[in-house]
Amino acid sequence: MEQPILSIRNISKEYPGVKALDDVSFDIPANVVHCIVGENGAGKSTLIKILTGAIEKTRGSMLLNGQEYYPKSIKEAMRAGISVLYQELNVVDELTVEENLTLGAEDTRFGVIRHSGKTQRVYEVLHEIDPSIQLKEKVEKLSMAKKQIVEIAKAVAANASILIMDEPTAALSEEEVRKLFTIIHKLREQEVTVIYISHRLDEIMEIGDYVTVLRDGRTIATKQASGIQGQEELIQLMLGKIVIQTYVPSVIDTDQKVLEVEHLTNDKLHDISFEALKGEIVGFYGLVGAGKTEVARALFGADPCEGTIRIDGKEVHVRDPRDAIRQGITMVPEERRTQGLFLELSIKDNIPVMNYKKISRWNVYNKRKQREMAVQYIKDLRIATNSEEKNVSLLSGGNQQKVVLAKCLNADAKVLLLDEPSRGVDVGAKDEIFHIIRELAAKGSACIVFSSELPEILALCDKIILLYEGKIRAVIQNNAEKQPDSEKIMQISTGGLDKYE
Amino acid sequence: MSKSISKSTLTQLITLSILIVLVVVLSILAPEFLTYNNMMNVLRQVTFVIITGSAATMLMITGHMDLSVGSLLALSGVVFAVCAMNDIPLFLAGLLGVGVGFAFGVLNGILVTKLKVTHVIATLGSMYVARGLSYIVTDGKSINAGLPRGFDSIGRKMIGTIPIAVIIAVLVLLIFFFLESKTVFGKYAFAIGGNKNAATLSGIKSNRLVLSIYTLVGTMAGLSGVIMASRLGAGDPNVGNGFEFDCIVAIVLGGTSVAGGSGSVIGMAIGALIVGFLSNGLNLLGVGTFYQTVFKGVILVGAVLLDSLIKKKLK
Repeated sequence: MEQPILSIRNISKEYPGVKALDDVSFDIPANVVHCIVGENGAGKSTLIKILTGAIEKTRGSMLLNGQEYYPKSIKEAMRAGISVLYQELNVVDELTVEENLTLGAEDTRFGVIRHSGKTQRVYEVLHEIDPSIQLKEKVEKLSMAKKQIVEIAKAVAANASILIMDEPTAALSEEEVRKLFTIIHKLREQEVTVIYISHRLDEIMEIGDYVTVLRDGRTIATKQASGIQGQEELIQLMLGKIVIQTYVPSVIDTDQKVLEVEHLTNDKLHDISFEALKGEIVGFYGLVGAGKTEVARALFGADPCEGTIRIDGKEVHVRDPRDAIRQGITMVPEERRTQGLFLELSIKDNIPVMNYKKISRWNVYNKRKQREMAVQYIKDLRIATNSEEKNVSLLSGGNQQKVVLAKCLNADAKVLLLDEPSRGVDVGAKDEIFHIIRELAAKGSACIVFSSELPEILALCDKIILLYEGKIRAVIQNNAEKQPDSEKIMQISTGGLDKYE
Repeated sequence: MSKSISKSTLTQLITLSILIVLVVVLSILAPEFLTYNNMMNVLRQVTFVIITGSAATMLMITGHMDLSVGSLLALSGVVFAVCAMNDIPLFLAGLLGVGVGFAFGVLNGILVTKLKVTHVIATLGSMYVARGLSYIVTDGKSINAGLPRGFDSIGRKMIGTIPIAVIIAVLVLLIFFFLESKTVFGKYAFAIGGNKNAATLSGIKSNRLVLSIYTLVGTMAGLSGVIMASRLGAGDPNVGNGFEFDCIVAIVLGGTSVAGGSGSVIGMAIGALIVGFLSNGLNLLGVGTFYQTVFKGVILVGAVLLDSLIKKKLK
């Protein structure tokens, strides 16, 4: 066998009382797409941090091209040819594409930036990957996907031989994912090895050449992707048990409309009308930019809109989120870190923010009740933490999302809007979140799920509403016996088809 | 190991140790330092920073600043003195003085939250306007003639052996400590400073809350001004120059993040005491005020540096 580009040998990372990585060993062959999968907390992030020099290993060694590799900083790793595409992109919105590409590597004379062959190469790399991106354009005007491409180009131009992608498709629409995959194939042709980390197993099955499964900080298996028997096998390796997502119809009271929305319109939405029955889970599906988030935000009063909203038959007016919460509407926002959580605050301080009434009197809160409330939610939603005092920034993605859910549940809403409820969450936590949503619906809340992941919508929702360019294109009843035609759904969502029959 | 100590508690412990070391060192170097009279002297000096800083800490927790408090201190004192001189009953005169601070607080709050002027610029503007107004009202001179008897009571009188001003400062401190740590109001302040987006989407009316904290800051600056004028026995338009920065130094020493989201009123009080003891101690040791200013700068940056170094080590 050829010499692997990177050998990871018996790497361990220990924190006081916790083994984040325990004797992890595997080889990454050159010029492949090597996927790393595992639940949150399996050790993926820790491994990346060690690879890129962000933290130091406790034990073990790494060989890069056969040579001892021991990076002490991110810069050193980059010099050795290892770059990372983080989940939170490192582009400066206020600068142009051109400026971003050369940021930190500007060619200067006496401190004045000049253009030269060196900078020219960066532009060529970008042009090769995506000619549609204009150099003079401000990065803030680019879509998430294009920002990502700018970063990829930057890494490639910096002579990266290994490019680590951490959940690169988390914020992309299906269409953009396709494009990213084409780019990844191109990278492989240019002799760049891609280490691909994702929760989306279908993507891994599609793009990966090799897959390494981590569980509880240990390597469970490294396999050639072609030798894996479908996603179920991967899930089994990751969890040690099989989880199969099937649609379970909710018990719906067809006589009782919890939420009625009529002619919801603003600059992004046109005449959105729908209703949610008692116990029903309604799903909005569409690509990024179709208007899902806009519908959620409009209903929650976060964006201005016209139209009628009725809850339990009574018309309500929501001017802002506070009104919405008072009227019984609450929202799990799209981005939990920037919109849902107070990262510097503890779990117990995050949970009651939407509704302090239960734990306070005359606006003075009761510490004991606050702790009890947090402990209860930690138990009910199975939030993995050793203490309710823990800062939410220290929790894994899935557990952070559960804190956001707890925050919303505490608001005792009749209508729960869930925007991408399982984005960037591992398979186990996703399952638990689905379970929580089903339970809520069973208790009589109307749950409206907004998602760009079709499997999620198909597994969870009783009624599926397809959005395209801010309009409702089709409404489909889910069916346990006969799954809706996902190809047709994709066609409608990309504007190719008008009706679902 | 569980994370039993939170970051801001840790900072408070660090500042508290700095304070204790400072007191020990100074009492060894200067024998008259640890006397009752000297202690009360220092406490009297820091009352102003503690009263105004209590509210300003809450403000900084939300991620905002108020640079106008020094000028408001002067203007309120001047208004108090002018009213008292013109035979307006003392209590009412004092109330009017505080009222001026209140009014400017509302103004600052509206500028920042409703008219969306950047907080530093808005309060910088108020700083000039209030300072200018106090010169106009007094014609640039200190008002000390014709003040009624009792004008100086709130600033100089004692209850038992403790100055009234110190008692007021302690009460204000306790009220704001209560607000910060026990009420929904306080929780919301942390939430807004920590993540404004999430706060809005959690149904918190951040504008309303920030406006009310600006009002509190203005009012507390007004109260400080009235006490200051009473203590000086004069309405002096020049007082409070640099007072806004004294407050910021105390707040930051106390572990409040300038970006908001974390902080503590008690920490601010410790910070104020550090600055107070330091300048007092240096006075006793015969170090000139020029050098003291240098020291203040060094201790500010030094303490913040020490704090971040210790936190890094513990990580």
